[in-house]
Amino acid sequence: MDDRLRETLSAMMDDEADELSVRRLLSHDDQPEVLRQWQRWQQVRDLVHSGQSQMDSIDVCAGVRAVLDGHPEQARPGPAETGRPRTGRWQWPAAAMMVLALLIGFGAGAGWGPVDNALPEPLSVAQPESVPSPYGSVQVADEVAMQGLDPAQWEYMSRYLLEHAQHNSVGVGQGSVGYARLVSASGGGY
Amino acid sequence: MTGAGWGFLKHGVLALLLVAVVPVAAAGDRPASAWLEQLGPALNMTSYRGVFVYARGGRVHSMQVAHRYVDGMVQERLVLQDGGAGEIVRRGMDVVCVLPRQGKFRLDQVIPSGPFAQASASSLMPVNRWYRSDLVGEDRIAGYDAVIVALTARDAYRYSHRLWLEKNTGLLVKRDVGEAGGPPLEHFQFTSLEITGDIPDSELEVQTQGQVVTRSSGDTNTGQPAEAVGRMAGWQLGWRPQGFVPAVAPGTGTGQAIAFSDGIAAFSVFVEPEGAVKMPRGASRIGATTVYMRELTVAGKPFLVTVVGEVPPKTARQVADSVRVEDAQALSAGKL
Repeated sequence: MDDRLRETLSAMMDDEADELSVRRLLSHDDQPEVLRQWQRWQQVRDLVHSGQSQMDSIDVCAGVRAVLDGHPEQARPGPAETGRPRTGRWQWPAAAMMVLALLIGFGAGAGWGPVDNALPEPLSVAQPESVPSPYGSVQVADEVAMQGLDPAQWEYMSRYLLEHAQHNSVGVGQGSVGYARLVSASGGGY
Repeated sequence: MTGAGWGFLKHGVLALLLVAVVPVAAAGDRPASAWLEQLGPALNMTSYRGVFVYARGGRVHSMQVAHRYVDGMVQERLVLQDGGAGEIVRRGMDVVCVLPRQGKFRLDQVIPSGPFAQASASSLMPVNRWYRSDLVGEDRIAGYDAVIVALTARDAYRYSHRLWLEKNTGLLVKRDVGEAGGPPLEHFQFTSLEITGDIPDSELEVQTQGQVVTRSSGDTNTGQPAEAVGRMAGWQLGWRPQGFVPAVAPGTGTGQAIAFSDGIAAFSVFVEPEGAVKMPRGASRIGATTVYMRELTVAGKPFLVTVVGEVPPKTARQVADSVRVEDAQALSAGKL
């Protein structure tokens, strides 16, 4: 299934696919794969939007925690025994299922991956050269979330972002990417 | 395509961040360096139309683009496909922006008068000194065959890049940026593309209704780009990563900003008297872009040093920390 078909499928989920695209999708050779992809995305959307899915009853919390901790899964009391509200229990399965769904549903390329249509690769590693700085080692800078800026601060910041976008796009020869960065930073999109 | 659709593709990008794969065998006869030399000219001198998506952090955006190179002049029109309507039109040294209210840009203040360089700095820079370049495979993007060039940063002061370049023209059709060995922090990719010399004038004209602001980016007297170094009035940069050289001069109107590039990545440094708006201090990161702000007090006067660029936060911080204000009076006077 190529990128275009995935886009069509995605558009269908928004009820925005055009007829020609849908016809192309429906005439795709591997209909079972299309169906599986559709079902996976529907499940994920159900999880995200309504908190309900066919897999809602599966609690993978313990398993995920065990993997993360590097320990074998241990028996844990059920929700009734813990007395925790259902919404609290929901968080972990939802997150875990999202990860699973993404890995299974989108990991096989989805058009964003590498050329082998399998899994994406990290950017390659070179042995960093030790370049001394007169300012010595610098600790990780404090992070300030841009989302926390008030309107006046954001306007101030956006001026810098726009100018930098301009430099990137024309001065550094990166074409449209600089403006795309600007749009991304300024909100909108999905 | 909008709504949850792109949301799902966005999560697809996130999925890519979670996994790794064995590199693909190199392909192609031309060495990676030859492709890199072609990168800058191809971006400017190839005529094409298409739609590209850009993803970083949790956001995915799409933009429609038409790009034409006629008589040595770049003409380009970008139309935002998400959120409010808006477009950016370049015609040689002039730019026209029509942006929605999103982001609250006051374009009459922010369109810089910096030069629209006809040639990319990347074609002149010894990129291989700062990045190890390898041809790592071939791919097909938006219907075009492409080669993949991996640029691995040779130090920790810059990010690594992976470039997909269309085989015939060398046009950049996809790019990932991230820390060496880490997942991509930002992702750019054409989803539809037509490389063609047949781009009519109508595709390059402003069509969106809205506030239009036009500003020539050339010098009003000579029509030539302003000298970059000349704009560092009153301050100096004590340190910058090797390979980053002054690229373009931001035309802030205040004359205290400058951009540096190593041919692949760039950061901009702004030094201004502290204004009425109290800005936060520290670093913020969206995808591969870092914004670092710090305060500098000279002769009792507070100045705001801001570094914006596609560099790691610690690089931005080191650059900002190295700024020295040598003439507070001149710097203050430059604030219009």
